[in-house]
This record gives sequence, C-alpha cells and structure tokens, in this order.
Amino acid sequence: MNILSLSDVAKAFGQVRVLQGLTFDVPEHTIFGFIGPNGAGKTTTMKLILGLLRPDHGTITVGGLPVTYGQNRTNRMIGYLPDVPEFYGFLTPAEYLALCGEITGMDRQAVRRRSDELLSLVGLPPDRRIRGFSRGMKQRLGIAQALLHEPKLLICDEPTSALDPSGRKELLDILHTVRDHTTVLFSTHILSDVERVCDEIVLLHDGKAALHGTLSEIRAMRGSSGFEIEFLRQEDIARFEALLPGGSRTDRLTLRYPSAPDTALQLLAHEQIPVRRMEQLEPTLEALFMEVTEK
Amino acid sequence: MKAFLAYTKKEAFELCRTGRLLLLLLIFLLFGIMNPAIAKLTPWLMDFLAEDLARSGMTIAQVSVDALTSWTQFHKNVPIALILFLVLISGTLTNECQDGTLLLLLTKGLPRRTVLIAKAAAGILLWSVCYWMCYGITWMYNAFFWDNRIVPNAAASALAIWLIGVWLVCALILMSSFAKSNTTVLAGVALLAGICYLAGLFPPVSEYLPTQLLSAGALINNAAAADFTKSAAAAGISSLLMLIAAVRIFDRRAL
Repeated sequence: MNILSLSDVAKAFGQVRVLQGLTFDVPEHTIFGFIGPNGAGKTTTMKLILGLLRPDHGTITVGGLPVTYGQNRTNRMIGYLPDVPEFYGFLTPAEYLALCGEITGMDRQAVRRRSDELLSLVGLPPDRRIRGFSRGMKQRLGIAQALLHEPKLLICDEPTSALDPSGRKELLDILHTVRDHTTVLFSTHILSDVERVCDEIVLLHDGKAALHGTLSEIRAMRGSSGFEIEFLRQEDIARFEALLPGGSRTDRLTLRYPSAPDTALQLLAHEQIPVRRMEQLEPTLEALFMEVTEK
Repeated sequence: MKAFLAYTKKEAFELCRTGRLLLLLLIFLLFGIMNPAIAKLTPWLMDFLAEDLARSGMTIAQVSVDALTSWTQFHKNVPIALILFLVLISGTLTNECQDGTLLLLLTKGLPRRTVLIAKAAAGILLWSVCYWMCYGITWMYNAFFWDNRIVPNAAASALAIWLIGVWLVCALILMSSFAKSNTTVLAGVALLAGICYLAGLFPPVSEYLPTQLLSAGALINNAAAADFTKSAAAAGISSLLMLIAAVRIFDRRAL
C-alpha cells in the first residue's frame, strides 16, 4: 500500500513554475530518497504534503486521505523535520515533547514513556533549556519531536546537510532504525547518504520526477557505463592502448573504455597480457544526477 | 480543548521564563504607586518652588490634594502604561511565525485558530492582571491617604480604560494575523487607533467609536456614564469582529 501519493501536482510562485505535474508514490516501510539540485522544489513539495501551501493543480493523499490546505487532519499521520528546526528556547526538551504530545492528543503516560525513549535514542539531556543547543542537538531534538506520536510517515527536509560526518552517520542510523514502523521520505542533495540508506528514490528536475524507482532499477535502466582495466606494467598498458584505441587513462596503469568489454577480453587472451583487475563500471548516482540535471 | 490548554500553558511559561511577566508587573506596579505619590508630593513640591516662583512674581494659593487628584493622575498615566504593554507584547505571534517555531506545532495538527484564540486570551488576561493590579494599588493608597468615596465613578472610568485595552489587544491580534513583523503590527494598531481618533472629531460618529473610551477620565469629574455606553458597546462588538477576521485571515495565510 502507498502511504503517500502525489498525482500531477503543480505549484507556481508568481511567474516561477516550481512544480509542473509531479507524480510519484511512496510505498509503506521504505526509506524514500527525494533528491534534486538546490531550488528544484523539494521543500515546496514537502510543504504541499503538509498542507502548508495550496497546490495550483493535482492531488496529494496521505494514508489514503486527501491533503487539504490549511487543515491538518492528515498531519496527525506525519512527523516533520524541517531543514533548520527551531524550538522555544525557554523550554527543556522534555517540556517541548510534552507540549507536542498534548497537541497531538496523546495521553500523558504515553508522552512521558515515548519522550524518555526518544531522548535517550537521540542522546539529549531532558532537563536542559533548549536555548544554547548546537545545531546538531536541535536536529536531534527535531527527530525526537517528529517521531513522538509514532507517525506513519516521517518527512525530513535535508536532515544531514548541516551535520558533521559523525552527526550525519548517527542521523542515518536513526532513520534506519525507525523504518520498521515508519515510512521515511527524506530530501537531500548528498548522494552518498542516498546510496547508504535509501530503498527508492525520485529525482526531481524541472518540476517533474525525472527518475523514479529503486536504486538497482535506476542503475539497470542506464545500463553499463563501460569498463576499466588495471595493468601490472607500463609497457603492457602502452601495447594494449595501441591494439584497442578509444580508451582513456585514469591513472598511470589504468585504462577506461566506454564500450562493452568483449573485444578487450579477446585481445587480452590472445596477446597474453597480464592484468591486475578488470571491472565492469556501474553508473554512479552522481553520474545519473549530472546526466539528468544537465540535459 | 487539550491543544488550547497545552498552547496556553506554553504562553504562560514563555511569559514567566523570558522575564516579560516580571517586567510588565514592575511597570504597572510603578505606575500604580506613582499616581498617589505624585498627588501626595504636589503640595510639598509647590512649597519647595514657592520661593523661586514668588521672586518671579507668581504667588501660589493653597494647594489641596485629595483622591480626585490621584485618580486624575491615574487617567493621565495609564495610557503610557498601555502603550508600553502593547509594545512589549507586539511580537507575540509574528516572532513565532518568523523564526519557524510555530510551523512545527502546526504540522503536528495544532489548529491555527487555537493559536490565535490562545494568544488573544493570554493577552487579555495579562492586560487585566497588570491593569487591575495598578488600579488596586492606586485605590489602596488613595483609601489610606484620603477618601475614595468622593470619586464614586472611579471604577466605572477604570472599566472604560480596561475595555479600550482589550480592544487594542484584539486589534494587535488582527494585525498579527497577516503582518510579518512586530513593527508592522504596531504601525497597524497605531493607524487604526489614529483613524478612530480622527473620526472622533466629527460629533455624529464620535459616540460610537471605541477610542472615545480614552476620554472616560471625565467620568471622575462626574460626567454621565451613559455618555460612554455606545462606545463601550462598539468596543465590545468590534473586538469580537476583529478576532473573527483574524481567525479567517490566519487560516488562509501561507507560512
């Protein structure tokens, strides 16, 4: 079942058409990467899903219910972590979570239990005022507040872009832990994060879904992007280059070809040239990203 | 209702922990003491200056002060306290919209109107506490030094000023429902009050204007309370209408 569906969603701000018929579905219990260059409309899409903006066209459903602007029935199913979460500095994390719990209608016991669990999961002191928290600490409190009511859908807007490598790893680990109960939709332009945790992605470009599918599907769709041979000796690489032109040197002993490896294999066998390794190249997400966005 | 109480509790925490409540209480305490103090000190001050004034050819007749002098001071000073009050609470909604703290709570299903109603309730309650404390202090000093019975309309005139405060808090909430910064809010409130004041210069409409209540100080000099019933009713009704308009505008605002 799909927890989130967008169908032909369009949104313009004045003359700028940010989304032009965006359509995609997010199946339950996946970590869904929402990628695209800066300004592609990722945050706009998230705000539309949260009912904070009114779409010009198209429909959005969360858990089967339509999202309506200004009202927030569907928001009770969603946990939201904005890119820079801001909290009331005069409250402590425990008080803030209690406030969130009361707003979502949870009972007091459940709030206390969840809040203890989550604060220890994200490693924050429950009784220190939020004023004076670092950006990383606020991000972690952001995760805790987003997960408090055990939402069916967790939406994170570039959760890792402001964090240092260890903070980033912790955050991705947390996303990984919660996927059993919750579907995660997270936007980012950091492709290594996507490769690390995402099951499925959609790549947003020109206001549309330019690529959509699981990571392996997307790689398969593009097919191979050539192969690479690493030789043992300098004279071998020179000899092979003369036999099979069209390659490019990536370092002193390595040659890369954009074609299929059949001829090269035959030549290597026939000429008895020893190699250290030969590798079929998979298209990287970065290459796909560049290919799509520079079209 | 649960969300309303939770949000109102947050407002209370904010007032206490940011020190704003303490500051407001101090201001109104000071104003409360100042009214009788000025009245009490007037004869002494006159005596002190009498010699200088006599030398420049002015003679001062016997200055007599009583509860009326103190209540006159109250009506002179309270508008300043009201302005300070409005300045101090002007950012109540715009700050939360600007820094994104409200956005997170709204995405949790907190209805927008709950926010506005809680803000209005907190503002009116805060105004009432500060204002009536100030009134109470002045009343007690007056009772101690003189006799409040010579000013039978003191409570009625104070009620009129309280009502104009409520009206201005509602105007502030209305302006906050669309304005982006607290300076815009204050400018909007000032503009509205200014327009009402100018319209008050034309006698046929003046008695229906809430701002007319600002001259309710005349009640202590035995003006008829009936002169202010129409403007009081207008203030009550327009406060309610401004809150309804604020809710409708805020529901449609893109955040």
